[in-house]
Amino acid sequence: MLPRISAASQTGFLRSVDAGPETGLIAAVEKEPSLARSTGKIAIASLTSRITGFLWKIMLVWVVGIGVVNDSFNVANTLPNIVYELLLGGVLASVVVPLLVRAQDDPDGGEAYTQRLLTMALTLLGGATVVAVLAAPWFTALYVDSSTNQANPELTTAFAYLLLPQILFYGIFALLMAILNAKQIFGPPAWAPVVNNLVVIATILVFAMVPGEISLDPVRMGDIKLLVLGVGVTLGIVAQAAMLVPPLLRTGFRPKWNWGIDHRMREFGGLALWIVAYVAISQIGYMVTTRVLTAGDAGGMTAYYNAWLLFQLPYGVIGVSLLTAIMPRMSRAAADGNIKKLISDLSYASRITTVALLPIAAVMTVVGSSIGVALFSLGRGGAGDGAERLGEALGIGAFGLLPYALVMLQLRVFYAMKDARTPTLIMLVMTVVKVPLLYLCPVLLESHQIVLGAMLVNSLTFLVGAVLGQMWLWVRLGNLRSKRVLGVILFTSFASIIGALAAFGAGWLIPDWLPVTLTAWLKLFVQSAVGFGVTLGVLALLKVDELKPITTRLNALRSKVLKK
Amino acid sequence: MAPGGVVGDGRYRLLAQLGIDQRAGAHFWRARDGQLRRDVALTLLVGDPADAEAARAARRTLERAAHAAQFNHPAVARVLDVLSLGSGISAGEGLLGIVVSEWSKGTDLIDVIADGPVTPAAACRMLEQLVDAVEQAHNHGLVLGIDHPQRIRVGPDGVLRLAFAGPMPQATLRHDVRALGALLYLLLTARWPLPGGPGIMQPAPQGPNGRVVPPRSINAWVPQELSALATHTLADGGEGGIRTSAAFLRVLRQAAEVAERDELIQSGQLPPDSHQDPDGGIWTTQRPTNDPARRRKVALGATLLVVAAVAIIAWVGLSLISFFETDDGATGPEVNVAESSGKRGQKDKKDKEKQVAAAAVTPSQVQVYNPEGTGDSVDRAPKAIDGDPSTLWKTDVYKQQLPALKSGVGLSVSFDKPIDLAKVVIHRATKGSKVEVRVADNPNPFLDDARVVVKETEVSGDKVELTLAKPTKTSHVIVWITKLGGDEGAFATSIGELKFFPAAQP
Repeated sequence: MLPRISAASQTGFLRSVDAGPETGLIAAVEKEPSLARSTGKIAIASLTSRITGFLWKIMLVWVVGIGVVNDSFNVANTLPNIVYELLLGGVLASVVVPLLVRAQDDPDGGEAYTQRLLTMALTLLGGATVVAVLAAPWFTALYVDSSTNQANPELTTAFAYLLLPQILFYGIFALLMAILNAKQIFGPPAWAPVVNNLVVIATILVFAMVPGEISLDPVRMGDIKLLVLGVGVTLGIVAQAAMLVPPLLRTGFRPKWNWGIDHRMREFGGLALWIVAYVAISQIGYMVTTRVLTAGDAGGMTAYYNAWLLFQLPYGVIGVSLLTAIMPRMSRAAADGNIKKLISDLSYASRITTVALLPIAAVMTVVGSSIGVALFSLGRGGAGDGAERLGEALGIGAFGLLPYALVMLQLRVFYAMKDARTPTLIMLVMTVVKVPLLYLCPVLLESHQIVLGAMLVNSLTFLVGAVLGQMWLWVRLGNLRSKRVLGVILFTSFASIIGALAAFGAGWLIPDWLPVTLTAWLKLFVQSAVGFGVTLGVLALLKVDELKPITTRLNALRSKVLKK
Repeated sequence: MAPGGVVGDGRYRLLAQLGIDQRAGAHFWRARDGQLRRDVALTLLVGDPADAEAARAARRTLERAAHAAQFNHPAVARVLDVLSLGSGISAGEGLLGIVVSEWSKGTDLIDVIADGPVTPAAACRMLEQLVDAVEQAHNHGLVLGIDHPQRIRVGPDGVLRLAFAGPMPQATLRHDVRALGALLYLLLTARWPLPGGPGIMQPAPQGPNGRVVPPRSINAWVPQELSALATHTLADGGEGGIRTSAAFLRVLRQAAEVAERDELIQSGQLPPDSHQDPDGGIWTTQRPTNDPARRRKVALGATLLVVAAVAIIAWVGLSLISFFETDDGATGPEVNVAESSGKRGQKDKKDKEKQVAAAAVTPSQVQVYNPEGTGDSVDRAPKAIDGDPSTLWKTDVYKQQLPALKSGVGLSVSFDKPIDLAKVVIHRATKGSKVEVRVADNPNPFLDDARVVVKETEVSGDKVELTLAKPTKTSHVIVWITKLGGDEGAFATSIGELKFFPAAQP
């Protein structure tokens, strides 16, 4: 699955903070000193939005279970994101934002440019939204494979009618955020997704309270529950976009229809085209994923989607906070053509990412199913073995965590070197590998195991991506000191495997006559503690240098959070 | 003048002539200072004292040499004395002036070059001191006058030294710099690129544009940097011309570093990364080259390799999932046994089944019959009638045996047209399971409304046949599980396939 998109589908915010920098946003903005100062605050907002965003996903499982309804909702709720990304997302990050920053030097402070941009984007998005809503059944047919009678395309379409209007508001949010960022306002855009998540959480509470069931056969648009969920989630995105209007007006900007294309936009045409191609190719991978999953067992899509969110969490929280400091340095080195410095920063970033994420991946492999049961088996999530399967999917895919993080790192280096082509080609190879392997899953696996296979394939794809990325960076830059990185990976793998074995052993200590959920929580805590403890101990014994910055940074982060 | 003769009022006895600069009429001699009993280098300015022009030129040369007497540099022989007509030289000697310098030990540059050009690194080493001297002299406003190869000697330390002082009267700083380029050219090619060189030395070939060809086109092994340095310094003006000794020195030092490294590599003291393959075989101990085109090829190959490797890993991984997952507690060990044994004998069994199945009637619909509860894999009910015994329908996992939570659970099948049901075959039911067969008027009747046609029977095993006492006409059949298979605490029953056979038609 495409990192950008999936990050984006978690909350609109992730796309902007996480994926934005990958596409030149950071190159344009981060030289401003105030960004460094606001990074801390943004990190807190990012963390909050991730947690609340994840909370509502879990709550949704508690309320509707891991089954056809949740599957349909998840597929339908990704559709607006996909359309938005294809139309505007990539172009926005790569073209519009750098131009916005430049336009601030216009005699009118960029007002005319901003008006023109908003006019054009809103027209485009408005039209696209109408077309997309009309084409909802067609989208469903594209993303849902109902040939095995495991999916419910009617329900997906019903949700899609209610959720697709989000396209317009995603676009408005992203544009307003870009405008505010260009004006050095970072707070409201960072917190807006939290508002979205709160609205959705309220929606789910209402959903749980209203009487009735979502009828599956036939699907009725008038179902009160269906309406509550669909409209509520869309309202969340509306609120997220609306949040940004007052701060924008406060900057003195006056919205006005202003037709015309700014000639500066053309300069970036080529770059944007490659980025759009990147998005489009990754969408093929995503489409095949949803088709295979919806054709498999009911609940597979939900399990996969939530496992993927869980999978990303360590990178999002730890990886990003470790890399915040080093990313701007790398972009600057690339901009200055200082290849030596770029390589040494890349190598360093790869090594600390390794030391931070490999132990987590190892422990995740062991405690995966406990995480699934612990988090998702409340309420309706407890029915069947969906929660456990979700956790198993996480455990099986966990090894992809480091490759995933490395791919993200390499992407940033490529984009910092203004090379949008190589990432697209790498994505092409990844997709070419992924699609046949995904179609292999239903052949080799029982239908309820397909989600496990899909997660495995996904992680393997990132492995391909990471190796290819390293290779093509080598082609561009020469010796990358990969040996040192590999050394750290080997040492850390060794420590992590010992840690994972210890954690596995610790699992025997937990009595299994306790209630299932309690056992899962106990296992989660005990095994994680043992796993991390042993891994850190071994790493310390091996005297891995890269351990030091991580401990100091984690300490700093902890004291920072405590201070807040 | 001949060896053994004396000049300078008899003070200097000539020993050997080492060269002659035709342009200035300057003869270079090694001589013996009779008073101080030491060897000196003499630059004899030969000319007719009656020629006013020549006399003035000689006077100018002597003045310049006198200035240089204050200059001290290891790469320049110190000027000891300057003799002019009337002060140290008698009129009959046929000389206009003599510049006396200390004697530089070593070899004539010409003799060194006679063996052929020197290596780039050596050329840099030999030249560097002299360039520094020019730089220093220019800082003092002095012109050294090094623009003739025979004025230069190579010291025992292998460093070029200006041995015979006395610059040309019209020489400028620029001439010195050009001379540096010329010397570099000479060292690299053994040819002298400036006009007026000694006759015994081959002049540098000229290109069609009238300029000398670059050293690189004479000797291909000359590094591009040095070749360019020499031509740029020799070129009079123009783009990229080098006009100062400081600039020359800077470029020379860079080139020297490269040349030095290459030399060390060639002598095996450094790991080579050149394009040459000294091993000459298929196997090489060299590191891969750093050439991007080559790297791209390597990367392309590796890409294919990675893709193939990952495809294999994926295959293995997926097989492992399917292997381990069926072993999972949720599915129950019995099913696992049944499944693997089922898979082994699957092929021939399928063939047999086909013959029997010709008579079986496939239901048009199937659903989980669960009058007292919910759940039990509603979505997977079709797997029980999909014609493939290896795909299972499975109940939920129950903590307690039936009828603790509910009295039973079952599958309800419907036929498009009523059939005369005679026999129900259950494939691969979990060990320990017991079922009843009931018939009803609709697919979802009350339990009591469904008539039992086959009494509770254990259905463990790959294939169990349940025959009705008497064929019954019906559209709706319920296979009702009254006892679950599995172990204490994890009861569940899975069914691979249900087949319904009508009574044989007469």
